[in-house]
Amino acid sequence: MYYAAKLTEEKCTGCKICIMSCPDPNVIAFVCASKKVKIDEGRCKGCGLCVSVCPKDALNVSQL
Amino acid sequence: MSKRIITPTPALAEYLPQQYKDLVENGPHGRGLGVRDLGSFKEIVEEHPHCAGCGVSLGVRLVAAALPAPEDTLIVGTPGCSFFALSQTAVNYSNTAFGNQNAVASGLKRMLQIRYPDRPKDVVVLVGDGGIADIGLDMTLHSWFRREKITTIMVDNEVYGNTGGQESGMSAEGKVLPMAPRGKNFPKIPVFDLAKSSGCVYGARVTVANPVRLGQVVEKAILVAREVGPTYVQIYTPCPTNMRFSPAETIDVARAAQKGTYAFEEFMSEEAEALIAKSRRE
Repeated sequence: MYYAAKLTEEKCTGCKICIMSCPDPNVIAFVCASKKVKIDEGRCKGCGLCVSVCPKDALNVSQL
Repeated sequence: MSKRIITPTPALAEYLPQQYKDLVENGPHGRGLGVRDLGSFKEIVEEHPHCAGCGVSLGVRLVAAALPAPEDTLIVGTPGCSFFALSQTAVNYSNTAFGNQNAVASGLKRMLQIRYPDRPKDVVVLVGDGGIADIGLDMTLHSWFRREKITTIMVDNEVYGNTGGQESGMSAEGKVLPMAPRGKNFPKIPVFDLAKSSGCVYGARVTVANPVRLGQVVEKAILVAREVGPTYVQIYTPCPTNMRFSPAETIDVARAAQKGTYAFEEFMSEEAEALIAKSRRE
């Protein structure tokens, strides 16, 4: 059973706080074109630190 | 590791993994990137086997992103949780016997000054609390007494994490841990105060709950160590596995510590202050 963070794109404002709180490198990337973040679900360990810091509740951890 | 050294020849490039090509094309080498740019470049820390929600790996990742010149940096480590991530950085890395890190770093710094007299090479010691406060305390203090121009960074998780949770000198007094069932019976070793009185010209105490400030102090510490003398940064990196809290609470625990024992503190000598003010103007 694997868990990973998922993004609700409409709520994301691209503040990048989640990127600076993720312990794993290059899991959350910033997409310049859309000014939003993108999550590599295959490499996410599902700890939920990004969820705990997101000011807009745009992230949640759920089963893959 | 200069970019020239890691750039492959066109014939070899097609056989290399995508991760490596990304590092050459979109890595931080020679671009002056910092913590605020995370997410838009290929980081120098690779995939690592740390637990989910690990504070140490977050600390290591932020320090690696904050290096002012990753291509001219040599990181020195010692066994412990910190070295799992460090052994997979794309900067020069040297592992040492447990506790020897500051002695080895002193030698490497002197050797690099002779080999590259006109190019500053940063030697950064990035180790856990066991390496600095327990086994390596004598070597660490003596490198500060000798005014070696190295940066010492402690990722303090207040426990021996990878061996099952023994108490370390940096564990809080009374803390009950998996391998310390009766609780620790003496207070935290005041390494930060020791740094102040042992000759460090710049020191800062931060937590992973404030990544931008962490990046700023690491950058300042490395710039000051190039010119003036030894510097010290102590980062609080809570351990969810051994402290028995949910991995999603690491930042909250660090934030709570900022209000108590781990309040932000910074000290610098006059010379270091002048240097920081000068680098800001530039």
